[in-house]
Amino acid sequence: MENLDYARLQMAFTLGFHIIFACIGMVMPFFMVVSHHKWLKTRNPVYLKLTKAWLKGVAIFFVTGAVSGTALSFELGMLWPEFMKHAGPIIGMPFSLEGAAFFVEAIALGFYLYGWNKLPEKFHWFTGVIIGISGVLSGILVVAANGWMNAPSGFEYINGEFTNVDPVQAFLNPAWFSQALHMTLAAFVATSFGVAGIHAFQILRGKSVEVHKSAFKIAISFGAIAALLQPISGDISAKDVAERQPAKLAAMEAHFETEEGAPLFLGGIVDEENKEVNYKFEIPNALSFLAFGDFEAEVKGLNEFPEDEIPPVAIVHYAFQVMVGIGTLLALAGLLFFVSLKKKSWMNNKKYWWFFMLLAPLGFLALEAGWVVTEVGRQPWIIYQIMRTSDAVTPMPGMKFSFFMYVAVYILLAITVTWLMQRQIKALNTQKD
Amino acid sequence: MLYVVLFFLLFSLLLYVLLGGADFGAGIVELFSSRENKKVNRDTIYRVMGPIWEANHIWLIILIVILWIAFPVYFNIIIIYLHVPLTLVLLGITMRGVSFVFRHYDAFQDKSQLIYNGLFRFSSFVTPIFLGMCFAALVGGELIVTENYTNYGFYDLFMQPWFNGFSILMGLFYASLCAFLASTLLIGESEGDIRNMYIRKSKISTGILVLLGFVLIAYGFFNEIAFIRDFVTNPISIVCIILSGILLFPLWKFIRAGRRILSRYFAGLQVVLVLFAALVAHFPHVIITSEEEISLLENISPDSVIMVLGISLLIGGGVILPGLFHLMKSFKMIKIFDRDEQQFQK
Repeated sequence: MENLDYARLQMAFTLGFHIIFACIGMVMPFFMVVSHHKWLKTRNPVYLKLTKAWLKGVAIFFVTGAVSGTALSFELGMLWPEFMKHAGPIIGMPFSLEGAAFFVEAIALGFYLYGWNKLPEKFHWFTGVIIGISGVLSGILVVAANGWMNAPSGFEYINGEFTNVDPVQAFLNPAWFSQALHMTLAAFVATSFGVAGIHAFQILRGKSVEVHKSAFKIAISFGAIAALLQPISGDISAKDVAERQPAKLAAMEAHFETEEGAPLFLGGIVDEENKEVNYKFEIPNALSFLAFGDFEAEVKGLNEFPEDEIPPVAIVHYAFQVMVGIGTLLALAGLLFFVSLKKKSWMNNKKYWWFFMLLAPLGFLALEAGWVVTEVGRQPWIIYQIMRTSDAVTPMPGMKFSFFMYVAVYILLAITVTWLMQRQIKALNTQKD
Repeated sequence: MLYVVLFFLLFSLLLYVLLGGADFGAGIVELFSSRENKKVNRDTIYRVMGPIWEANHIWLIILIVILWIAFPVYFNIIIIYLHVPLTLVLLGITMRGVSFVFRHYDAFQDKSQLIYNGLFRFSSFVTPIFLGMCFAALVGGELIVTENYTNYGFYDLFMQPWFNGFSILMGLFYASLCAFLASTLLIGESEGDIRNMYIRKSKISTGILVLLGFVLIAYGFFNEIAFIRDFVTNPISIVCIILSGILLFPLWKFIRAGRRILSRYFAGLQVVLVLFAALVAHFPHVIITSEEEISLLENISPDSVIMVLGISLLIGGGVILPGLFHLMKSFKMIKIFDRDEQQFQK
């Protein structure tokens, strides 16, 4: 493998790591403030216990997300200096605002963590709300910058020079809204189902059931709503990609031939050499309809594009299938939860808790798969149709060592954080009121 | 608007050196303490710096973001040629951040604390050294900025500029500056024996700082490093350094008299003077390569970018600074003057 491959692997690995922690750090504060609000309203000690347990989780995830984010802000340039040299100034606006939002989050977190019994109760609770809002804002701003890579705008590209830069237009690029919406909902789905699943496991074990049931309800409510909204956002995203990045859409669907009234492929094994998909299940005309809202619309196949402008098909196709499959499953699970609010007897059934426990990791899997779709699907471009990833990479040799170092450090970190969470749960279960 | 951007660039540099530095310094002080004092220090810095531990390090992100948006040429040089030491800095920041949180937010306090503590102290010590080395690489005159990477070996391009005698001295200098800042800050946050401990640490680190400063200048002068040569021949820099030397005396008077706020401001002023002296001799030519001096103000981003960045910074600063001030005030990082004076009279 070459330097470029290691640089790409490092970026994928560190981003993949950061996304999980950033999403948890972004969404968990909302659970925390809901529980905190219930404590203030009902003075039921269960909620105080829960708020404080989640608070520690937020602190641990926030710092892990923050340090890996700091590393990423350098890595963008360290791995892709040529990209940052040109793109940095153009997409600087969302990044500088993100810096500000992140700062507000850190300040609010300082107030919240250290403010117990020191600040007025309502103000203290409100600083928790600020953590959540500024966290979500940070996420949206960063995704907007990524949107620009898919839909470069706000400049003119003449003879290899970027001129007439308009940072506001670059920030509000055509992809920012659909991507930010999809990502924010995905963060809520993944974190909610993850947290709810862990509490479901504790209920199954019969430990401090009352606390864990309250925790489960708060967490899953967010996830269920987000999971039901996600298909709508997915539809907006798909239509957007179909219009602006036909090669990505074709790769997502593993569509080699251009067709009118194109079918939707479910599953299937991609054969990139012979350019076909075997063992697939076809839904006639569905792709044309989903992508363009017209059963007979023409969908461009990969064969239309020059060989050196086609993304890796198999990875993108499989990742897309995983994302959509899990998304559908979680939306159904969300529906199940709302029904169970009416049919309370379901909650006494062990199968109910087993089901939610098994769903716990799936949201994160879908989240990562979605990132693979958007990032690998854009290849070979780092700035869509402007700059190739291979032209952006650092001239420094030896990226191999850097990659393995990050893998070792981050895996160690992930293990430690998991272990710490397990200890938090243990502490919560053994705590006396 | 360029001035707004420049202001925020230098402002975040200063705050990172000051606040981030005090943060690192707290870990350094802990590393070089006896076993009992280590525990005392652990609890003190959690109480004192805890609320702003994360905010202090965001200044670095703001700094790097301003650089890449407004000064892409500078950013490009820093990010390509300092790849190795920056990776070490990032590793240090990561380890330091997580070990701080792990040691205070772990559900059980058991043997794992040994690992968190060790990691925290060690990374607090090495990270500022690498940061100092990065700065030394930029001004040390050994950078080779080229388009033809294949003409040079890995060592010449990516190691030599930051890994040499001058840069190691600079790294140690910054680390002792951090220790000086932290111990001076912590004097005001403690009582009795602990307070005397911090006074002792503050004295020692001041001594080391002044000594290293002289060694650094002498080393640079005799090795003909342009940055140091220009530094010692620039009248403004000289005045700043002499002034900071003289101001050490009132600083010590305030520390002894227990005027915590004034001593804190004077310690900060020391850093401002040293940083100003270092930058003014060469500004705007901060980066000195083996062949030329590169100006910060050349090849900056187009006006439209600077304009939007300036506005974003003004809005962001307008939200952040009052919030940060309020945070520090709420947790008594900065005390209102008259209250402090009253305490003093007791």
